[in-house]
Parts: sequence; structure tokens; C-alpha cells
Amino acid sequence: MAFLGVFVFAGVGGESVGLEVNSNNFYQDTNLADGWIYSANLDNDFVDKVNNLSSTTQCERQLVIDSVGNFSNDPDITLHFVENNTISKFYLLEGEELNISDADGVWIDKSFADAKDLNVGDNISFTFNGITVEKEIKGIGYSPEYVYHASTASVIPDFNKIGFAYMSYKAFPMDNVPYNVLNVKFDGNAGDYDSLLSDKLAGDYNSFVEKAEHSSVSQFSEEMDQHKMMSGIFPVVFILIAMLILLTTMTRIISHQRTQIGILKANGFTNTSIIFHYVSYGFWLVLIGSILGLIIGPLTLPQLFYPSMSATYKLPSWQPVWSMDFVYVAVLMVIMSLIVSYLAVRSISNENPADTIRPKSPKVSSSGFVEKIGVWKRLSFNARWNYRDAKRNKFRALMTVIGVMGCSALLVCAFGMYDGMNDLKEWEYSQINHYDSKLVIDEDAITSEINDVAEDVNGDKIMESAIEIEAGNIKKSGSLLVLNDTDLITPTDYDWNKIKIANDEVSISQKMADLLDVGVGDTVKFHIMGSDKWVNVTINKIHADPISQGFVMSTDKLDDLGLNYTPTSIVTEKHVDSNYSAIKSTSSMKDMTASWDELTESMWLLIYILIFFASLLAIVVLYNLGLLSFTEIEREIATLKVLGFKTGALRRLLLTQNLWFTAIGFVLGLPVGYYILKIMWESSGDSFYILPSISITNFILTAIITFALSIFVNLLFSRKIKKLDMVESLKGVE
Amino acid sequence: MSTLIEFKDVVKEYKSGDNVLRAMDNVSFTIDEGEFVVILGPSGAGKSTLLNLLGGLDSATNGQIIVDGEHVENFDDNELTEYRANNVGFIFQFYNLIPNLTAVENVELMKDIVDVDIDGCAVLKSVGLENHANQFPAQLSGGEQQRVSIARAVAKQPTMLLCDEPTGALDSKTGVLILNLLQEMSNDKNTTVIIVTHNAILAEAADKVIRIKNGQIEDISINVNPKKVEDLDW
Repeated sequence: MAFLGVFVFAGVGGESVGLEVNSNNFYQDTNLADGWIYSANLDNDFVDKVNNLSSTTQCERQLVIDSVGNFSNDPDITLHFVENNTISKFYLLEGEELNISDADGVWIDKSFADAKDLNVGDNISFTFNGITVEKEIKGIGYSPEYVYHASTASVIPDFNKIGFAYMSYKAFPMDNVPYNVLNVKFDGNAGDYDSLLSDKLAGDYNSFVEKAEHSSVSQFSEEMDQHKMMSGIFPVVFILIAMLILLTTMTRIISHQRTQIGILKANGFTNTSIIFHYVSYGFWLVLIGSILGLIIGPLTLPQLFYPSMSATYKLPSWQPVWSMDFVYVAVLMVIMSLIVSYLAVRSISNENPADTIRPKSPKVSSSGFVEKIGVWKRLSFNARWNYRDAKRNKFRALMTVIGVMGCSALLVCAFGMYDGMNDLKEWEYSQINHYDSKLVIDEDAITSEINDVAEDVNGDKIMESAIEIEAGNIKKSGSLLVLNDTDLITPTDYDWNKIKIANDEVSISQKMADLLDVGVGDTVKFHIMGSDKWVNVTINKIHADPISQGFVMSTDKLDDLGLNYTPTSIVTEKHVDSNYSAIKSTSSMKDMTASWDELTESMWLLIYILIFFASLLAIVVLYNLGLLSFTEIEREIATLKVLGFKTGALRRLLLTQNLWFTAIGFVLGLPVGYYILKIMWESSGDSFYILPSISITNFILTAIITFALSIFVNLLFSRKIKKLDMVESLKGVE
Repeated sequence: MSTLIEFKDVVKEYKSGDNVLRAMDNVSFTIDEGEFVVILGPSGAGKSTLLNLLGGLDSATNGQIIVDGEHVENFDDNELTEYRANNVGFIFQFYNLIPNLTAVENVELMKDIVDVDIDGCAVLKSVGLENHANQFPAQLSGGEQQRVSIARAVAKQPTMLLCDEPTGALDSKTGVLILNLLQEMSNDKNTTVIIVTHNAILAEAADKVIRIKNGQIEDISINVNPKKVEDLDW
């Protein structure tokens, strides 16, 4: 049990600490920028100005430009023409280091290279702004700015369609490189730097993005938060239960050794040596279990998660990392067992040997309230026996209930996660979005081109923008969805009922409203990322969306607010295969659900692991306690058997108690599981909004699993009952 | 009186590894209905083995055990359980009451295994414990506990009462009371009572005495005029 507890704790902990340490190392090794300043034209003058700011420690320009790779599926490749590459360095895996004087080489993304089967030495060409460049691949690797990299069309990356490439500024086909991003490193916090910039350099640049807001960094840190949360809840539940079980086991093992202790004492052993003997006995067991857990946990469990995570995130190293916390927990476990065994032995060894040498006299049962009411008379022997047995062994009863409670809570949680993920998919991709294809409009496309495409595919134009919303002192980034009358995207409330947002209304998503602590009638301000024009809006409605948090409004309303309507996508019922020059990329509903499924793969795994461990937990708890109680009542069982009770009747006797406790534990476990699930969903990141719920089927499944385990454990005992030696059990002293 | 129990050349062997221990060697005897039988023997003579075979706790290696016309030696586990439930009322040296149940509940427990309606209070009254019906075993003295155990055994109206050193854990005064009770059961209610003991004094009170030694019958004697237990010279 000590092993299992420490195993899960250290395993899941190692996974999440591993993520953090690996990503931090990666960020540090590659000198990830602290912030990015975006501007149409970053001349030397501006660079000087930034360098002159007191807190700037380092800065470096690059041109970041979207291009299309010359492959049959027109993948989006983001090109970086770098001036120096000392900040946010390219992390090389194969080939040679990025060479700033090399005008012919390109350093590309490992995931993209793998997807396209590209190797060092191959040639690759890109087209941007009508210019096509062809370069030789000199190196393949990762970039700290692209741990998470997905297109605007879907949150889930498809490395066949998206990639990035680094080149020297010398590789740019023109002499004057129109740098548009300034990577900066600075001292102090980002907020201060932001204000410093807007103070000193207002007007000279478009926007500033700090590290925490960078899409790759923030996505990955959200993912880490999720894992941290999970490693926070589940292992702790396990550790607690493991400790409880350890407690009961140690106490009982020692009380079973009672007569032995008596004999030792009678033979003249000192209390100290007896205590030492029994305490060290438990100590070694727990110590070995804990150490094994410490070693095996981090080695095995993370390996279950990392493969599916590495499908989404690009990190050079996926190593579980060991943290001192695990050792503390293990040490705590060992100390607990020491204390418990010490207390248990002491209570026995303090008695005088004459008493100790005999078994402890049974606890006296007493009649209570229940016996006085009329029903008692009508209860069967089975019910009476079990009631009194439970009453006499309150501690054991409590432990069993807690064990089952833990099991059913974990099961509810696991199935709740399963349902939540499925609900989310159904909600987002069937209830809200009904289109078949989404065509992402090229930023350079002109209105008439866009309208032509829209007409051609019989689609509706929409605008999706990243925005920043501020209410009171809270600032959150979110998204803005601008819709004209369309049946293809229908916002809903949290019950999946479609809601109508009128032309002059603004609706905020439930999660965003919760995050900002605002409601209908409140006024908040926001700006579109990339522009510093803040506008005030009053909230008219609240809608709910599982994966996108922010505002929904009409084009009219956007106009009213004085913002430009620039459609970013066209959605259509038709399945679109053809290419349009105004369209950057097309993704079908099928692609999106498929990539969603891929993203949730690691989730499924977690769910299976949860179910497995929850079941294991229930079995261990029930068997352990069952075994201990069985040895205690062996004599009674033997008597009943001698008297003529059939094995089946005796099994039912034990089963009844198990089932009662299971039922109580199950009922208590439901709210606990629900609560854990709620915490989990709430902590799943700012952009997710999932309501904790569990479907009837899975609820029934939870019940079935819990009770099946209880019955299964009981079956293990029926063999014991059958083999019970009646004659032996009846001998001995009373 | 008709024959209730018949042992015919019963052999019981225990195997442990290569060693075969013959605990019961060609034992034959009969017990009649309503008899008060004492089985005597020093420890290790095979008393317990005999009791186990008679009580259906163990199966014989060879020979026949016929109880009430049925061949017990052919019974499987389930039939043995059934046999114990219906035919044998056990009284143990250490009472073996169920600590979780009150005296009356311990008696009425039998309702679960036999098809007899039992009035626990009435049965307890017959052993003189009507005032302790709602007490738990731990609250009763040894003699009282043994009386509950007798009540439990007779409540189901078994073919025989099988008593394993019933006074072994009691002081002599209480022991006499218990044995007296058992003798009365036999005399007044025509219950077959079989007592296994090493206490030779009891022999004088028995209708039939079966002495065993080294797994064999040493002697079977019949007292034409058995003494009353209370008249024995303790």
C-alpha cells in the first residue's frame, strides 16, 4: 500500500514536474524572449530607443512572415528571418547550427520535417507575397516559440499542414529586410515594461506581447497547470487512503501478534526490545515499499502520458523529473507507520505478560436504540449480526466506507471526465457549429475576392479576433466572434438551448463573465489584439461555449463600437475542396473533430488509469479489511459452520456487510467525485468551459463497478470459508 | 429402544507427507435412541476424532457410519452440512456463542438453518435463563453461557446432543449443574446425549460407557442403573 501510494504520487508528480522542468530548461537554453514588440517597421532608430530603456537587457529583430510551403496540401509555414538568433534560439537536433552568414540555408521544424519526411540536405521552397524562395535544409530542430503551434482554424496542431522555418536575414530576397518583430529580454516584470514602452515609445510600435501571453507559452503552461492540478488531486487522494490503510494494517498486524508479544515478555524480553522488533518490522516493509514507489513511479507513469502529449507539443526532451516533494511524502509515510506501530505495540507491551499472553477479550456488545424499536425483532440473524459487528468495529467500518468512497469518487471523476470531453465535442461541433467547411481568409485578400468566394461556396463570412477584455482590475485575453445572420454558427446557453443575439446586443460567454466577475448590464472594455484602441461595451446577454471565451456580436454592433469589420473566415454547409487565392486554408468539420480526438487521447489514457487505480484501490481496501476482519471472526464463522450454516449463507453474511458499506461509501463518494470533477474542469484553463456532469449510463456503470468489486472481493473469501478448518478453529481458549 | 447410531469398522487416517497416522482403527459400536452415553478416554486416544466423525465435521477413511438409517460416510460437504444442521446439537467446551448476538438471539439463530419454529425465550426458560435473555455472552458467566449453548443445541430438536468436554472450562459445581441438565434432557425428553470426556467419574451416570484407547475400543459397558449426576462423588 505504501508502494502504491508513493508510486502514484511520485509517478504523476514526476510527470508534471517533468513538464515544468523540461520546458523551463528548454526556455532557458534557448533564451526565450521575455516579450515581443510588433511593429510594421522596426528601424535601427527604434532598436536604439528600446535598447536605451533602462530595463532592456537584450533585443534583436526578426521578420516573421507567413508563407505557403510548396507541397500538395499548401502547408502554412511561418518564416523567421533573424538578425542574430541569440534570443529565442533555434534548438538544433540534426544538421549544423544556425549560421547567420548563411544565405542559402534554412532551419526547419522537426515535427513538420517528420510529417513531410524531409531530411538535412533536402531542398524546400516557400512562397510569400508572390515571392518564392528555395533553400537547402541545413538543420532540423525546435523553437521555444513553437512548443505549441496550431493554425487559426483549429486549436489542435496538424504538423502536416503547419510548420515554421528559421533563416538568416541574408536569405531574404531583398536587401532591406522589413523587420516586424523585436524580441526583447528585460529585467523586472512584464507589466512594468509594458507601461514603460507605452510611456516612452507610444506610437512607434503596434503592440507588445509579454511571455505569459504568448500563445505557445500560455497554451503549454495551461496544459502544465492542468497536469499539476491532476497531480495535486489524485495522488493526494491515493496517499491519504494508502496512509489510512497502512494505519489499520499495522494496528491489526500487531494486535494479531499479541500472544507472541506476551510470550516474548513472559520469557524476559524487555519492552524496548519488543517495541523495537515490531516497529522495525513495519518500518522495513513501508520503507521498501516507499522506495520502490519512488523509483518505479516516475519511471513508468509519465511514459504513459508523454507520447500522446508529444503529439501536440514540441519539446526536445520529455523526461520525468524527480522532486524532493516525493521524498517528503514517502518519509511522511514511513514516519506515520513508525508512530502507528509504536503506539500499537506500546499499548500491548504495557499490559502485564499474563494478560498479554491471552487474546484480548472481545469487546462487549451493547443494546442500543435500534434494538428497542419494533423493526429489530423482524430483522434476520444476518442483519442483526452485521449491524452489531459494524457497531463493534466502528473503525473498520469507517475505513471500509472511506475506501469505497475514494473508489467511487475517482470513478465518478473518471467517467465525468469522459462524459465532459464527449459533451464538449458534441456541444462545440454539433450544437454550436453546424458548418461543414471553414475557409480561413488570407490577410491580404481584398473584399471583392472574399465576397466572390463567399458567394461561390454559398457561405457566410465571420470575423474571429483575439481580444483583451478588462473589467475592474481583471484583464483577460479572449476571443471576439462577429456574426451576421447565419444558421451555421448558433451560440447556445449552458443547457445547449440556442440563444438569439440581436443586432444591437453583445453577449459574453459564461466562463469569461465568471472570470471577470461581471454580468448582464455591466460595462467592460476591450481591445482587439494588435490594436490599442479600447472600446466600452455593455453586456446584454450571456451565452456559453466550451472552448472559446469572449464576446459574440453582430457586424452592426461592431460598427457601432467604431471598430472595423474584417472577416477572417467563411463558413459553409458545402464541403469545399477547391483552392481560392483569397483563402489561406480550409478545414472541414471532420478534420476538426479528428484533431480534437487526437488532442483528447492523453485524456482517455488518464481516465483509464484512473479507473484502473480506483478499482485497485477498492479491491485492496475491501480485501485488506475483509481479511483482517475475517481472522477476527474466524472462530464465529467456524462455529456457525459447525452448527450447520451452509457456505453460501456464511458468504452472504460477509457480503451483506460489504454491500452495506459499499452502498454508503458509494453514496458519499458521489458528491466528493462531483466536487473533484468541478475543481478539475474549473482549473482546466481559462478558455475551457465544461460543466461537471455524468451521464446516466456512466453513473450506472460506476455503481456496477463499485458493487461488482465488492462482490468480487467477497468471492475471494468464499474459498476461505470453504477451506476453514472447523475443528481447529473451535479449539483454543476463550 | 431402537438403534440410532451405528459405527461399523470405522477407520480414520490422517496423512501428512509420507506418514500415515491411524487415529481410529476399526471402531464399531451402537448407540440407542434416548441413551445417555459417555465416551471416555485419555487425551490422544481418538476422542476428538470420534466426535468429529459423529458430528459430521470430518469423513471416515473406511467403514460405515449409520445415523437414523442414513449412511453418513457417503455424504459430501453439502450433505454433511445439512446433516449437522438437522441431526446434531453441538455443545462445546468453550461454548462458542456468537458474541454479537444476545442469549435469545443465539438460540433463535437456529431458525435460519432448520425448519423449526423456535421460541427462544421458552427454550431459555427450560435451561433456567429466562432472566438473561437479552444479555450478550460476554455479560454472562461461564455456566450461563454453557446453558445458552445447550439451549441453542436443543432448540432445533436434533437427533443427538454431542457434547465435547462440556464442563471442561467450568468449576465443578457449575459442571454438575450442566451435566444434570444434560441428563435430564436424556431422561425426560428422550434426547440422545453423547458426552466426550476424560473424566472417568462421569461413567457411573451413563447408560452406556464407551472407553477408547489408542484409536481402538477398549471396552463398552452398560449401566443398568445409572447414578444421578448430582449423586456422583466429585
